[in-house]
Amino acid sequence: MYKTIIIDGLAFALPLLIIAIGGIYSERSGVTNLALEGLLGFGAFSGALFIVFLGGHFSQNSNIPIYLSIIMAALGGALYATLFALLCIKFKSNQVIAGVVINILSQAITTFLTRQINQNFFEQPSDKFQIGVFPRISIPVLKDIPIIGAVFDNFYTFNIIIIALLAVTWYLLYKSAFGMHLRACGDNPQAVDAAGIDVEKVRFKAVVLSGALSGVGGICFAYSISANFSPAIYMGYGYLAIAALIFGNWKIMPTFVACLIFGFARSGGNELAKFLQLSSSYLDLTMTLPYILTLLLLIFFSKRNRAPRALGEIYDKGKR
Amino acid sequence: MAKDYDYIIEFRHLTKRFPGVIANDSINLQIKAGETFALLGENGAGKSTLMSMLFGMYEPDEGEIYLRGKKTKIKSPRHATELSIGMVHQHFKLVENFTITENIVLGIEPKKSMIGIPMVDIKGTDIKISDLSREYGLDVNPTDVIEDVNVSTRQRVEILKMLYREAEILIFDEPTAMLTPQEIEFLLEIIRNLKEAGKTIILISHKLDEIKQVADRCAILRNGKLIDVLDVKETSTQTMANLMVGKDVSLDVAKEDSVKGEVILDVKNLFLKNMFDVKIVKDVSFQVHAGEIFSLSGVSGNGQMEIADAIAGLLPIDSGEIFLKNRKINELSIRERTEQGISYIPEDRQVYGLVLEFSLANNLVLKSYYHEPYSNRHILNDEAIFNHADKLIDNFDIRAGKGKDTIVRSMSGGNQQKAIIAREIDLDSDLLIFVQPTRGLDIGAIQAVHQKIIAERDRGKAILLISLELDEIIALSDRIGVIYNGEIQRIADAKDISREEIGEAMMGVAKNA
Amino acid sequence: MPNKTVKNKNPIFNLLGNPKYQFISIPIFAVIISLILSAIIIFLLGQNPILALKGLMQGAGALPKDNYAAYQGQVTDFMETLDIMTPMLFAALAVSIAMKGGLFNIGVSGQMLISGFVATITIGYAKELNPFISKTLVVIIGIILGSLVGALIGFLKVKFNISEVVSSIMLNYIFQYVISFFIITQYVDPVTRQSRVIGENARLTLMNVEIGPYKMRIPIFFVIAILVAIFMHFYMNRTDQGFEISAIGLNQNAALYAGIKVNHRIIMIMAISGALAGLAGVTFYLGYRASIFPNQLSSIGFDSIAVSLLGNNNPIGIIFSSLLITIIDRGGTYMRSVSGVEQEIAAVISGIILLFSAMSSYMKEVFGARYRKGGK
Repeated sequence: MYKTIIIDGLAFALPLLIIAIGGIYSERSGVTNLALEGLLGFGAFSGALFIVFLGGHFSQNSNIPIYLSIIMAALGGALYATLFALLCIKFKSNQVIAGVVINILSQAITTFLTRQINQNFFEQPSDKFQIGVFPRISIPVLKDIPIIGAVFDNFYTFNIIIIALLAVTWYLLYKSAFGMHLRACGDNPQAVDAAGIDVEKVRFKAVVLSGALSGVGGICFAYSISANFSPAIYMGYGYLAIAALIFGNWKIMPTFVACLIFGFARSGGNELAKFLQLSSSYLDLTMTLPYILTLLLLIFFSKRNRAPRALGEIYDKGKR
Repeated sequence: MAKDYDYIIEFRHLTKRFPGVIANDSINLQIKAGETFALLGENGAGKSTLMSMLFGMYEPDEGEIYLRGKKTKIKSPRHATELSIGMVHQHFKLVENFTITENIVLGIEPKKSMIGIPMVDIKGTDIKISDLSREYGLDVNPTDVIEDVNVSTRQRVEILKMLYREAEILIFDEPTAMLTPQEIEFLLEIIRNLKEAGKTIILISHKLDEIKQVADRCAILRNGKLIDVLDVKETSTQTMANLMVGKDVSLDVAKEDSVKGEVILDVKNLFLKNMFDVKIVKDVSFQVHAGEIFSLSGVSGNGQMEIADAIAGLLPIDSGEIFLKNRKINELSIRERTEQGISYIPEDRQVYGLVLEFSLANNLVLKSYYHEPYSNRHILNDEAIFNHADKLIDNFDIRAGKGKDTIVRSMSGGNQQKAIIAREIDLDSDLLIFVQPTRGLDIGAIQAVHQKIIAERDRGKAILLISLELDEIIALSDRIGVIYNGEIQRIADAKDISREEIGEAMMGVAKNA
Repeated sequence: MPNKTVKNKNPIFNLLGNPKYQFISIPIFAVIISLILSAIIIFLLGQNPILALKGLMQGAGALPKDNYAAYQGQVTDFMETLDIMTPMLFAALAVSIAMKGGLFNIGVSGQMLISGFVATITIGYAKELNPFISKTLVVIIGIILGSLVGALIGFLKVKFNISEVVSSIMLNYIFQYVISFFIITQYVDPVTRQSRVIGENARLTLMNVEIGPYKMRIPIFFVIAILVAIFMHFYMNRTDQGFEISAIGLNQNAALYAGIKVNHRIIMIMAISGALAGLAGVTFYLGYRASIFPNQLSSIGFDSIAVSLLGNNNPIGIIFSSLLITIIDRGGTYMRSVSGVEQEIAAVISGIILLFSAMSSYMKEVFGARYRKGGK
């Protein structure tokens, strides 16, 4: 049983993490990002779109289109995030409102387009794109280690991609000049401006990156949860990611821990329901676990944690 | 190196206008390389505007700037930096959660490569910064995080930022306003070191003794015009002061002796803590009587603002007691204290004193909207609110484009302040707390505010004045308490204490029991 | 002032830039731009945009259809539109009062669901009760449940510094799943897979009322919703509490300094917002509909954000914007049948309207600057 908890838990925690990292990028640069939900959905939609149109051009058992779909999801997420960045940075909208607008619009557009495309091109009334099953592998020897061996057993290969992205994004945020500028923008944009760096440009890049990362997380969720894209992707995971990053105090590694807690709470709950031989309707109850946990964690951590100082502030160059 | 220019900086007919004012009126000025040059003038005289043009923040409306003999258009602060000009602003531009080194290198990060991956080299730079700091006697620890260091250190980080960028012309905008006397000494020493190293230094200030100590020459500005350029050594501070203020304007306020009444405010053994649980006010006791102006004098950050907040109810009391007219008010809410008779003109008028998006009329009833006649059974009475606004606009000479309907954000700072003072005086409280009542106002507005404060005293009100301006304290006070490091150093009648004695007490020396 | 001498060649820019008219001209501009953009999208998909938009209007009873079934007519369609507009109006009022106080109630859907659910299982299934009493009880339960949830969100914000946005979203999902669980295990109708239909006595909409040749629904709470909107307008603009709410929304520090009990007020604002959301919940689940789908939040809770933004957070403006958005939402099914465009386009159109509404402050500024320039 613990094996399933670990395997399923990771399959949930890692996509959540990459979305949360997207959120960290945006928020550490000073842009409140409630749009993660919409960004992940739009990214997943873009990846799925690639599969349904071009997936057939590859040989039957090839995994290449599946990996390409991740790239497409990142691009789609980034593209859609551009709209969010425009709203927040160019049009100086209230960032909270803009985020919610982006979410609503994302769900509306992807739902509509999925139906319309299914109707126009495949002549079937469906709101789903079938995207196939993501490859799983096991690492021999390692998988036989007691308990933690489960980490290496029968896991989605996207776990590896996400771990690699984790390393890259960590490096970029904490060790590169761009990351330094980004973090400075979220603390004191005036200081960044005084240092001759274009605050709006840095923030724009941060938000677009945030979209790309969310897109990757979104398509991974689409694969792991249902092997298809449908409006059911909008299950609040974007908001869960926000909770995770607040709990992780806007830092990457603590956020990783938060995501693991969510992932294991979810898979643990499901396993518990199975173990107690409860009917499937009880899944509805275990589904609430991550959300309830989030609220409880926030009660304990919200007051202690410190958001980036300039979070949500619209930077106006004219103001000194 | 042979110089092919006489002056490193030259302003020719430099003019800058803002809506309704000429901030700089055809300024002609020359500054020599390697000298320490002071710009002297009252608030609003145009010093900062002039320097903002030199630093590329404003574009002049007319006139030219010659830099090292060449006509130069300075397009942006970044451009100014490239031209080896550096500026320490009044509000520091530092990233709070970065280390000192990270702040200094921001924008021009040194790179290193680890296994082929480029990275920002912070560790290696720490040593460089350390050396640079030692060279000029700046004494900073490069690995400290900004949020953990004090104002004086932050200022030195700003100086290091300029030096790291190899600036030759260093502009300091009111650098001593936020410092303690010892820190001021330290800074002046640093400025001397910088001059010795061949830097050109421009000092914006209105503190004569500092200018006397470090500057070679000084230019005096008044109402946007250049009045005179003087050799500091050959000029007395008295002359400088006269020129700065102008003969027609005197800061002295005519006032009678106070007629002291009963005790209105009685603060007993007050202790206060800040949000990090650090004691910032320690065992403070004082009384304010009806009909007198009692002032708390001290350098910024010594706990005086917190005392005002605690009396008004905005900051919880750690221990001690506050009595208003013999009634203990420790447990009362902010509104209850207002109703018991406290008016409060806060330090930050835009953050606390006003709702900037509200109309003037609404701001004028911000503390009284909920009772009659402005509101009957919870329903607002516009007529009463408007009449009230018209009355105060008239009585206090508040200038606003659309009268009572003006959105307060669009009003000038002086008129915003007048609106707050009008509202608070109109409450007819027994105690009025004024914190920095004239900050950022021009001389005309300052005089008007001072006259109002005196008039309230003469009506028998108790006035608690908290100001960082020693001149203001001396001009207005009947009794003076000096605060240093959260403790009252001395309380004395204004006529029994000299300016020098106040200054000493502000530094924490010469405690007179 | 120079305003009087303005002779701008373009009267449209005049309307958009003059601060006097912007409160109405900017939202209308946003809607027109959005409709044009939507038409372009429909066109690009190979369908006829005119037909589609006309279909939307016809479906909602704003334009006559070509033919009607027995007992049906434009008026019956329009009554149905008013019926669904009722919860929309309540929901948008809920969003707007929170917004006025600087708070964002994105949990309207969840508050609607819990109010509707509790009212359904307590009063909705008590079919022997007197209609007047049961309707009254339904409304009271809706208000109480909604305001409790709203107050909880406010409390979490004040006490634990939890953003109201995050907590209300978490509560949305918790309500959604828990209520779904109870519906499926306790109250399900095996045929429809929804909760069992409530009794007519408790229903807030009168069904199948014969008037003339028509059989129509009478949304009695529509009138109440309009009255509530007018009251809210009065409350926000003419009372001392409204003054306090605005002060808090614009500058919390100044509100505190002025002696307003900001924390109490934040909880109160969220409670009022929740109560309005509760009203939206009961008029939706026990009015427009008579049962609850498991595992689904009503889209009204989210559309109401668009409605509120579009109406400038002004209760009177919201009456009109909620009518517009309702028409777009409602007409989808019929539009699909006449034009072949998937009905989900309705959500896209309201999404686009929302997008442009979010830009309205920028548009105000840009057109305002042009206007002032023209005036010089």
